[in-house]
Amino acid sequence: MSNEPVGVLVIGAGASGAAFAWSIAGAGMSVLCLDQGPWMKQRDYPSNGLDWEERGLGEFATSPNVRGLPADYPVNEQDSDISPLMFNAVGGSTILWAAHFPRLTPKDFRMKSDDGVGADWPIDYQTLEPYFALNDRMMGVSGLSGDPAYPYHEPPLPPLPLGKSGNTLAAGFEKLGWHWWPSDSAILSREYEGREACINLGPCLTGCAQGAKASTDITYWPVAQRKGVKVRSGCRVREITVREDGMADGVLYYDEEGQLQEQKAEIVVLACNGIGTPRLLLNSKSQQHPDGLANSSGLVGKNLMFHPYAMITGIFEEPLHGRRGPVGCSFWSHEFYQTDRSRGFVRGYSFEAIRGLGPAQTALQGMVQGFIPWGEDHHRAFARLYDHTATLLGITEDLPEDTNTVTLDPELKDSHGIPAPKVTYRLSENSRKMLAHAVERATEVLTAAGAVETVAEPLMRGAGWHLMGTARMGRDPKASVVNERGQAHDVKNLFIVDGSVFVTAGGVNPTSTIQAFALYVADSIKKNIETLFDDA
Amino acid sequence: MTEPPAALNDPRFMKALLDLVIPPSAPGDLPGAGALGLSAAVVTAIQADPALGPLVEAGTQAVQESALSQHPEGLAGMAPQAGVKVVEAQLAAHPFLIMGILRYLYPAYYQHPQVLEGIGEPPRPPFPEGFDVEATDAELLEKLRARRKV
Repeated sequence: MSNEPVGVLVIGAGASGAAFAWSIAGAGMSVLCLDQGPWMKQRDYPSNGLDWEERGLGEFATSPNVRGLPADYPVNEQDSDISPLMFNAVGGSTILWAAHFPRLTPKDFRMKSDDGVGADWPIDYQTLEPYFALNDRMMGVSGLSGDPAYPYHEPPLPPLPLGKSGNTLAAGFEKLGWHWWPSDSAILSREYEGREACINLGPCLTGCAQGAKASTDITYWPVAQRKGVKVRSGCRVREITVREDGMADGVLYYDEEGQLQEQKAEIVVLACNGIGTPRLLLNSKSQQHPDGLANSSGLVGKNLMFHPYAMITGIFEEPLHGRRGPVGCSFWSHEFYQTDRSRGFVRGYSFEAIRGLGPAQTALQGMVQGFIPWGEDHHRAFARLYDHTATLLGITEDLPEDTNTVTLDPELKDSHGIPAPKVTYRLSENSRKMLAHAVERATEVLTAAGAVETVAEPLMRGAGWHLMGTARMGRDPKASVVNERGQAHDVKNLFIVDGSVFVTAGGVNPTSTIQAFALYVADSIKKNIETLFDDA
Repeated sequence: MTEPPAALNDPRFMKALLDLVIPPSAPGDLPGAGALGLSAAVVTAIQADPALGPLVEAGTQAVQESALSQHPEGLAGMAPQAGVKVVEAQLAAHPFLIMGILRYLYPAYYQHPQVLEGIGEPPRPPFPEGFDVEATDAELLEKLRARRKV
C-alpha cells in the first residue's frame, strides 16, 4: 500500500465525504479517502432473504452499539436522552438511511435574526441553491416541483407513488386544510444514470438490494473513482498530525490489518459526522493544539443537536399495504414549521409520513406498545395491526445548547484502543413542548384520515439519526470552529464538511443540506486555491 | 430418577412453551410456534444474547420446575390453559421471560413461509420481485396544487 503524500485527504466516505471528493477531483490535486468501514454489496443486503427483519435488528441495526461490527466504534450514550445512530462503511449512513431528502428552508439559515434564538448561519439558502440542484442530480432525486414551503426547484425525477397509506394520510391533511407535499426522495422513481427504479421492496433501512435508493457508494463514488480518487476502506484514523506551525500535515491511521500507518497530505478534510468529527479533533491533541485540533474556541464537541422525533401511529380498519414502498418517503408537512409563539415554544417541526412495518416489526412494536399479547389472543391482535397502520413522525427543531456535547470517554475505547466518544444530551423544555404539540396535531390529523385509534411515542430514544452542530461554522473564531467555507479558523488547511458545521438544525432531515455544503466547500477550495492559506 | 435437562436445552419443554406463547390460530391457518420447529434457532439466539439470555434462562428454568411439580411430563404434558397459568405465575419473578423469548421468536415466526402465507404475504424475500404500490391519488394532487400555500 502506497502512503505517498496526497494533495487532499478526505476522512470518511459517507454522504459528505463522497460529494466533496467527487467535486474536488480533477482540480489538479491527488485525492485519497480513508474510511473505517468496508465496501457493501447489494447482494448481501437483508431484503435478499426471508430473514430481512431479523438481520435489521442485528448486523444491520442502526445503532453501532447494537451492531458492534469491526467497522464500528462504541459510543457512550448513558447520559443521553437520544441514542446516536450511524453506519460505518463506504457510503456511511446513506447505506441505512430512509433517503427522505428535504432541504433546510431559507428561514432556517437566519434563526437569530427572525426568532431571536440560536444563531444565524454565515451562508444562506441562495448560496447553496446551485449545490442543492447539483446534488439532486448526482443522487437521483424524485419529487414534485412547486412546494410552497420552498423556493421553486425541480427534482430531476417524478415523485414516488404515495401508495394507499400515503393517500389515506394525505386525505386527512387535505381535510384539515394543512400543508402537505410529496417528499423529495433520494430514491429513483424511474431508471436513471444506469441505476434501476424502485420496486417497493420496503426495507430501505437495511440497504437497498435494488440500488434504487441513493447511497454514496453507488452514486458519487463510482464517478469519483473514475476521476482518479482513491478510496481505502477498513482504515481507521487515530489522529490528525500537525507541523510545527500548527498546520495539519496528515494522519496516523490503522490499516485493514491493524498496522499503524502514516499518510501525509496538503489538505485534510473531515467528513466523519457530528460525533466522529469532534471525536477525531479531540483525539488530535498536540503541543500546538493542547485542547484538541481546531479547538481554540472551546466549541469542538459542543452544541450537539439531534432532531428529537415523536412517532404517532394510527390504526385503520381497512388494509393500507403499508410495508410496500420506501418506508420513509411518502410526503412531508410544514404546517407547524415556523415559529408561532402562541404555541408555547419557539421554532417548529415537520411531519414525515412513513409507511407500515413488516410482520415481525409489527409484532415487536405491538408488544412494546401493549397492543399485541402473547398467548391465545395473539393472532387476533396481530391481524388488527398488521397492514392496518400508518405513521407520522414529528421531526422537531433542536436548539443549539453548549451543555449538549460530544467528549472523549475516559475509559471506553474502540477495537484499536482509540478513546471513544461520550454523548451528553438532555432534551430541552422547548423541544419537549414541541414534541407534545406534534403528538396532539398528529393525533388530530390521523383521526381526520380515518384512524380508529392512535398511539404515540412522544420521544423516540432510538432516533438519533441526525448528528449536528459539534464544530459549528461562523465568522467569529471565538464563537465557531470553521468559517463559512468549512475551513478551520485555527488550521487553515483543515476543512470540515459534515453535519458538525451546522449552526442550527432546522426541522427536517439534514443530508441534502450537508451534501450541498460539501459541494460548496469543494467549489470554494477550487476557486480560491491560490489564496487559500494566505492569512495562515 | 435422572435430572431433566436444563429448560432451554429440553426440546419437548421448549416446543410446549413456544406453543403457549404463539399458539396455533383458531381457524388453523397459522401454526403454533413450537410446532413450526423454531425452538432450536430461538434458543441459540437467546443464549447468544448477553443481556436477555440469562434472564430467559432463569425464567424458563423456573417454569420447567413448576410444571414438573404439577405434572410428571411437565409443560409438555399439560393442557394449554394449565400451562399458561404455570407461565403466568412466574412472570412476577421473571418479568423479562416472555419479552426475551419474543425478541427472537417473532422474527423467526414471521419470516417462516407457512406463516407468511397465513397472513396473506407471499412466502418470498422482498428482492428481487418487489411489490406493486398504489399510485398517488390524482384528485388529491389537484386539490393540493389548487391550494398552494403553507
